[in-house]
Amino acid sequence: MVVSEDVKNIDNMLLIPSGCILTARQIGILQAWGVDNIEVKFNGEPDKVDKLDTMPADALERLTSDVRASFWKADDADPVFAELFKVILRRRANRPVAN
Amino acid sequence: MNPPTLDELVLATPSSLGSYGPLMHEIERALASPQCSLGMIADVIEKDIDLTARLLRFSNSAYCGFSTRLSTVTEAIGLIGIQQVQDLLTASSVIERFSGVSNEFVSVKSFWQHSLATGIAGRLIAMERRLPRPDRLFVSGLLHDIGRLVLILQAPKHAQKIFELYKKERILLREAEVRVLGYDHQNVAEALLKSWKYPLSLVLAVGNHHNPSGCEAARVEAAVVHLSDHLVNAMRVGSSGERFVPPLNPQAWATLGIKPDALAMIVRGIDEQFDAVQEMFLSA
Repeated sequence: MVVSEDVKNIDNMLLIPSGCILTARQIGILQAWGVDNIEVKFNGEPDKVDKLDTMPADALERLTSDVRASFWKADDADPVFAELFKVILRRRANRPVAN
Repeated sequence: MNPPTLDELVLATPSSLGSYGPLMHEIERALASPQCSLGMIADVIEKDIDLTARLLRFSNSAYCGFSTRLSTVTEAIGLIGIQQVQDLLTASSVIERFSGVSNEFVSVKSFWQHSLATGIAGRLIAMERRLPRPDRLFVSGLLHDIGRLVLILQAPKHAQKIFELYKKERILLREAEVRVLGYDHQNVAEALLKSWKYPLSLVLAVGNHHNPSGCEAARVEAAVVHLSDHLVNAMRVGSSGERFVPPLNPQAWATLGIKPDALAMIVRGIDEQFDAVQEMFLSA
């Protein structure tokens, strides 16, 4: 995502200029300044299709089982595990090859 | 054959700073000078052409996230900070120091990929938690499993027993270390980094990353490294030899006070920054 309008604090100090690609670090800076919304635009690339949403049922079952087996302890009742599992499953579906 | 003691492992590990040693000493000398300026530090760094190029690439990467393009070392140091440049040199020198470790038990490249990603995660979690000196958590994450390389380098026969036991009984690698040696890789790292006179909070964060609640003096830092290691193992970015994602300590999670929905952002941040950081440290 690209910042589409200059982001300034209440003293009109420029925090992030328009045209800048928004990174995790900059989101952290904005949070630190108490900025809770900014104008953004997508980089001109079409939205990527989330492969998890279009994955065939049998492939999804294999992937789910593989991801679950990698955890020493898998407790679906634990909200932290449940969230991380969801995040990792989506990441694995979209980035099947390890770094 | 009795396993080596922690002191024996530390004594056997080279303590030189590698090829970055003279540069680091020169920076320290410049910093101690009353006339010290960013230009003086930049002059020292610019003597190393490869380091200069890598530092500039790194400064302009997603890891640093600056909105303007930096074209000189002086600008880079001014925005990154001298302390972080020193931390980067320290990290580079440690990676170089262990470059000769055999790939018999674990791929060294994969080991450092896991370590670098854990460092990135540590810094992102520290930023999310608004902790001071998030870059120090990068170094802690980078070095968290260094004890495992020391074991492979200095005690290869015991390392072999550890990996055999780990495979045969399908237990956690750390558990196999304790059964063979009576201690684990985090104890080795703690002893080594202490002997290298690293800052105490860093030594304790690394030395307690599997039991962060057991260390009151660096409880938060150890919890950051613990969660970072957990996330990176789950992401499977590189590997320090462990096949499973070790369990997440609920007390460590509670210590950090991070909301579960922040995990997606941290994981995304690791992916965004990994290539630039890998290029900085593993491109030589």
